[in-house]
Amino acid sequence: MDSRENKKDLIQKRNTHQDEKLCGRREFLKGAVKAAALGGSMMMTGCGTSLTGSKEEFVLEWKEYFKGNYRLMTQEERDETVRRMERLAKLKMGADVKISSRGPRKQVLYGYAFNISRCKGYMDCVAACVKENNLDRKSKTQYIRIFEKEHGNMNVTSGNGKYFHEVPAENHFYMGVQCFHCENAPCIKACPIKATWREPDGIVVVDYNWCIGCRYCMAACPYWGRRFNWNKPEVPLKDLTRKQHYLGNRMRTKGVMEKCTFCVQRTREGKMPACAEACPTGSRVFGNLLDPKSEIRYVLKNKKVFRMKEDLGTDPKYWYFMD
Amino acid sequence: MKRCPFQRKLSLILILSFLIFFGCKEYSEHTGGVTVTMKEATAPFDDKEIVESIPRIPKNPVLVNTRYQGGFFWTETRHDKIERFRCSNCHNNNEAPIDKAAKVAHGNIVLVHGPENKPLKCFTCHNQDERDFLNTERGTKIEMDHSYQMCGQCHFRQKRDWVGGAHGKRISYWAGKRTVMNCASCHDPHSPKFAKKWPKTYSLALSD
Amino acid sequence: MKIPPKKGLISFVADVILWNISGGIRYQLYLCILVAFMLTGVYAYSVQFNLGLSATGMNNIVSWGLYISNFTFLVGVAAAAVMLILPAYISKDKDFYKVVIIGELVAVGALVMCLTFILVDLGGPLRVWHMMPVVGLFNWPSSILAWDVIVLNGYLALNTLVPFYILYCHYNYKPANEKRYRPFVILSIFWAFAIHLVTAFLYQGLPARPFWNNPLMGPRFLASAFAAGPALIIMILVIINAKTTFKIEKQTFNKLRLIIVISSIINLIMLFSEVFKEFYFPTHHSLPAIYLFFGLEGHNSLVPWIWSAISMNVLGTLILAFNPGKNNPKVLFPASILLFMGIWIEKGMGLIVPGLIPSPMGEIVDYSPTWVEIWVTLGILSLGIFVVTVLIRPALIIEERYSTGK
Repeated sequence: MDSRENKKDLIQKRNTHQDEKLCGRREFLKGAVKAAALGGSMMMTGCGTSLTGSKEEFVLEWKEYFKGNYRLMTQEERDETVRRMERLAKLKMGADVKISSRGPRKQVLYGYAFNISRCKGYMDCVAACVKENNLDRKSKTQYIRIFEKEHGNMNVTSGNGKYFHEVPAENHFYMGVQCFHCENAPCIKACPIKATWREPDGIVVVDYNWCIGCRYCMAACPYWGRRFNWNKPEVPLKDLTRKQHYLGNRMRTKGVMEKCTFCVQRTREGKMPACAEACPTGSRVFGNLLDPKSEIRYVLKNKKVFRMKEDLGTDPKYWYFMD
Repeated sequence: MKRCPFQRKLSLILILSFLIFFGCKEYSEHTGGVTVTMKEATAPFDDKEIVESIPRIPKNPVLVNTRYQGGFFWTETRHDKIERFRCSNCHNNNEAPIDKAAKVAHGNIVLVHGPENKPLKCFTCHNQDERDFLNTERGTKIEMDHSYQMCGQCHFRQKRDWVGGAHGKRISYWAGKRTVMNCASCHDPHSPKFAKKWPKTYSLALSD
Repeated sequence: MKIPPKKGLISFVADVILWNISGGIRYQLYLCILVAFMLTGVYAYSVQFNLGLSATGMNNIVSWGLYISNFTFLVGVAAAAVMLILPAYISKDKDFYKVVIIGELVAVGALVMCLTFILVDLGGPLRVWHMMPVVGLFNWPSSILAWDVIVLNGYLALNTLVPFYILYCHYNYKPANEKRYRPFVILSIFWAFAIHLVTAFLYQGLPARPFWNNPLMGPRFLASAFAAGPALIIMILVIINAKTTFKIEKQTFNKLRLIIVISSIINLIMLFSEVFKEFYFPTHHSLPAIYLFFGLEGHNSLVPWIWSAISMNVLGTLILAFNPGKNNPKVLFPASILLFMGIWIEKGMGLIVPGLIPSPMGEIVDYSPTWVEIWVTLGILSLGIFVVTVLIRPALIIEERYSTGK
């Protein structure tokens, strides 16, 4: 991609992007007057958007509403709900998606290492992640943050995550942060309804249909690794990644928590996560921690590594190293 | 025998304190975490099941003539990514018309490689006699596909990390037969340093 | 005393409704205003329901705001009923026994507000059944939020059942059988401490948030609750004293005042201790406190609030401690309001929002609630006031009928 064109495009987008307050004071008052005129019927019509769909859609939604927690489902139930969701995606968005419910591989525990002396802050990883994981384009949700830090300071809070200039900048280094898939994850402990858990292959996932959106996990995460769907997530149909996973990049609804899943839809097929594949500098090393010959094990053995906020005892599976 | 009036309360308190003690003990015991889990995993990883579903990418990889900790590994080919390979098509003893030569000569190549006071020259790496090949310091002829051997002469640390997996990256798959990118997949051999450029995207400032 | 024939549950409910509908024009107007606020709240919530929580001022950094702030404060108000229950039922204090029912009903109102605040804060309110026993799945005992759901609902049940039983007996001109309700009263005393400690542990147990991860949080929650709750009860008693035939003794006011003063002084000492820790040798864990008291990098939306809260706190405590009006309701009322508002700000927004700023990665944003949020909050507050009113009014009528025997 031509970087100059890219730059112009980005600057324009960035300048025109105004975080429109959905409910200004005036709109609110206007609405209140309308509501007073229409009375309670307003609320009924507001809530009932799903009722306007076809009968088939309604039946599917109904069944989806009453399904249980993914972890407690049998394989047949999982297959059934996956079929329902694929059908619903067709009915609602007109998209042919393929949703997988593939379980974890045996003898696999995923780990990640990030080379802070290689990363140049190009943010190809962020763009690839947004595309692969169908992240909301409206609120510009991103799982990965890249922090620009000045030499001489390793303080976690000292980075600038909103840099927008030619990179790499003089006297700076770059540090990528995303969900660290802690072995002893505070978010899992916090969730009141077991809607988030650690899979046997070490990935911390969310059941988007079970989550009630209380955001306690978000408060419990010391790494700011979780994102909430404040509005209904929107992805243009042409940009939709159709190969999906139940615990991964399938479309979320509004009001649920989501997070990096190490691209569960890819990694369980043997592929690298989108961020690692997109990285133009090779700063991202991904692999199986239980495989003594894997690259990640080589890094841990031969490099001096550290983890973020290790003193909290969260035991992340995400290491930083330098050349 | 007279019963102590506080017996029930006392036993209740005792039971409670035991519960609290063991509760705290349970929570404070650490298993050692992921580093211990890792250390205990010494058995070779059996990725047969995954390997079967993975197509080889790229189609005809080059077997690297060094081994990594897991045995043989492969890398991308290089010769097919070079514009106008084979070099000997032009670089032979035949005469070439000067106007045509000017058009195809390597005027676009910017050579920023090596120390400032002693920059590399064309024939530091290219074999002067057989232009399809590279040439090591010791005078060994190297195929383009095995160019990592050339880089490793000076950048031996990087090469060691590349073999082990701390430098460079695998192609598409973390499992299965290890196929990695070669040095020139990412670095322009003539000016290997990464260029300054605008980032691909930006993070939204949450406050405005 | 002649005992009329026993009346059933249906006539009890009918009478309660009847007593609430009857009343002067001013009382009706007051109820109408509350209902109007509630309806506006319902409309505001319907806006939020359709747009999602993006209709609020919250974002991925300040992920809890006005709703959770009010929830936290009101749990304290609910827990404070124990300050009346303990002397009334256990020490058999005559003055408190007369007003204990008011304390319990205020707790019910506060709990209704708490649960509604939680409900409107949820991203998926239709999925709350995932929390219910049997059909849902509870992360118990691991998640403190799961504990909180249990203790809040349990406390609501306890505080509804006991007054209901007593009132129902008195409605039939029968003395309530103490043996029957006493175990529940004792349970509710422990439970009151539990709801507030558990709510404090909700925040205290998060190492990710150094501002909250503070062992003083639990005790301080209790101290501030035992100041704010009785202050609210004083306010209600003053109103009842002025507007109804139900008269409150000076002695009751005095005892409540003492409770407030002691709790409030303990609260201020602990506040001072916290402030000392944050500012004697500021670390990067002190950033939220710096943000709260002085502002960080130009972001200072909470600074005026916290300083006015602390001033109100100190002023209210001083007035109540020196008691210039000799328990005159005209002095007690504004002093209680001062203290109540001070604690509300300090323990609501002043506790929740700075805990989330700066983010764990050091990013600073300001939070200000949107109109939707404010209207929903006002709606829920009027719901609480409405509930308390329609519960206290028949309760007082029943008690008066019972004590006079008419």
